[in-house]
Amino acid sequence: MSDLINIFVKAAFVENMVLIYFLGMCSYLAVSKTIKTAVGLGAAVIFVLAITAPVNWIIRETLLVEGALSWISPALADQSFEFLGLIIYIGVIAAMVQLVEMVIEKFSPALYMSLGIFLPLITVNCAILGGTLFMIAKEYSLAESTVFGIGSGFGFFLAIVALAAIREKIKYSAVPAPLRGLGMAFIITGLMGLAFMGLMGIKL
Amino acid sequence: MKFIRNFMDKIEPDKKDSPFLHTLWDGFDTFLYVPAHVTKSGTHIKDGMDLKRTMIHVVLAMQLAFIIGMYNIGHQHYFALGLFPDFFAGFWEKLLYGVLQYLPMLIVVHVVGLGIEFIFATKKGHAIEEGFLVSAFLIPLVMPPAIPLWIVALATAFSVVIAKEAFGGTGMNIFNVALIARVFVFFAFPAEISGDEIWVSPDYSWLHQGFSGIASLFGSNDFFSMNAAAVAVDGYTGATPLSLAAKGGWENVQAYTVSIADQTYQPYSVSNLLLGNVPGSVGEGSKIAIILGALFLAVTRIGSWRIMLSMVLGAAFMSIVLNIISVQYGAELTNPFISVPWYYQFLMGSVFFAMAFMATDPVTASGTSTGKWVYGFLIGVVGIIIRVLNPAYPEGWMLAILLLNVFAPLIDHVVLQQNIKRRLRRVKV
Repeated sequence: MSDLINIFVKAAFVENMVLIYFLGMCSYLAVSKTIKTAVGLGAAVIFVLAITAPVNWIIRETLLVEGALSWISPALADQSFEFLGLIIYIGVIAAMVQLVEMVIEKFSPALYMSLGIFLPLITVNCAILGGTLFMIAKEYSLAESTVFGIGSGFGFFLAIVALAAIREKIKYSAVPAPLRGLGMAFIITGLMGLAFMGLMGIKL
Repeated sequence: MKFIRNFMDKIEPDKKDSPFLHTLWDGFDTFLYVPAHVTKSGTHIKDGMDLKRTMIHVVLAMQLAFIIGMYNIGHQHYFALGLFPDFFAGFWEKLLYGVLQYLPMLIVVHVVGLGIEFIFATKKGHAIEEGFLVSAFLIPLVMPPAIPLWIVALATAFSVVIAKEAFGGTGMNIFNVALIARVFVFFAFPAEISGDEIWVSPDYSWLHQGFSGIASLFGSNDFFSMNAAAVAVDGYTGATPLSLAAKGGWENVQAYTVSIADQTYQPYSVSNLLLGNVPGSVGEGSKIAIILGALFLAVTRIGSWRIMLSMVLGAAFMSIVLNIISVQYGAELTNPFISVPWYYQFLMGSVFFAMAFMATDPVTASGTSTGKWVYGFLIGVVGIIIRVLNPAYPEGWMLAILLLNVFAPLIDHVVLQQNIKRRLRRVKV
């Protein structure tokens, strides 16, 4: 149990997808103009990561790793299909994103409109694919990878909502004209990364 | 005092021809006299408390800690040489040494920071903002005394430009300017400021050389008591209380001794830690002086007492939780730091300094009252977590406050939304 908590804290804070690895920057910078849309996108990312990490784990363990298909024929005993991994993971992610899109469109058309193109673009958000690939590289079990998925989704959520709150606050500041908008978002993200470095190396 | 007014009027530069000089002149003029600027539309003034006076109050609040800290630099210097081992012996030599050691850093920070401030004020065409006055005092307070001055200059320039002017100047920054300067040094020059060990050196700077030279003209040969026997020591590296506690708990801090000139001292006794008789940054030293400064800020309502109190509560809460864990699972844990009694956590490091002058910064903290409680409490919790559980960093307050600076606008937002929700419910009934 404490192991799972450790993985969650690590994924959410210590190895934050956005602020430590700088993954998923595209939607992070584009959708963080208001807190409302940021919360929507963050929740969508948590959901997609929480589903795709365990699903990809199951697919990999039962179909892709070496010898997983040996029950079909003994000839496949030393055959690995991991080279298909990337395509299949992306496929799963795309399916999940479609699901999220339909749900949001049905229940909150306003949020659907404000998220715009960035909702389907979660498919190619590297934070999501990164979640799957990190989970494989770290050799997590099924429970661990589920917690890892939720944790890194939560980390993304925290980062994007915090940035949105800051951007809403500095809307009324006398920011030099050339830096307004995206320029400021980059500077804030860098300084946020500095602040998050304080948590690097924490051992629970 | 008429002649000062006349003098200022006489040297006033032309605003169109030399805007930079005029901004500079205006800055000093408003130091001396109440500004003549008047608001054109209707105003709502309830007090003559303008930005400049607020800032001066903060600067005043840190003076006691500042003077004791400077004196302490001198004391550590003579202590390393084995001279005047008593804290109050050789008072004037120690004070003079501390001032001479410290003055160059103060000047460098002011010149670099105010220089950038002046340039930006001229470019933007407004009067000089006073916010940097506080940062300029805080930055030297959080730097180790022996740090090279060019690093201080670089860090000051970085923090003023990136963390303040880019955000629009005083009152609009999201991150604490002094802390960004320190964090910049911390990550860019880790060897200078690592914090787990401290270099106490009797080496003296060019200013001291100059003073000694002048003194020798008048026949005094060893103005700074740099006699031959003393110079035999080149300086020493000592452990800080925090790194000792991380290795062996509170007992280890108390057991630590230094022997200088055939005498053994216990540098980290409780009274020494309270008084500030420990090597380290100028600001973190004297707990008593810092608490007095904090009281001053709280009474004048410039620093929020909510943040100060809740930060102490948060730190105490987290330390007590860790103490309980250490009692429960004592045998299985390898980190002796968590067994340090919670009240001793406050004696080590810079918790009170961070509380009084860093966390209460009204610009970067949460604005709402509820938000301030949450903000301070979380700083306390995160600070203790970083200090105790993160072996990479010996002290946590700098990064804890920056982390909560990131979330302060979010805390405010949530508090406001809750308030709106609560009041809307009342409307429906």
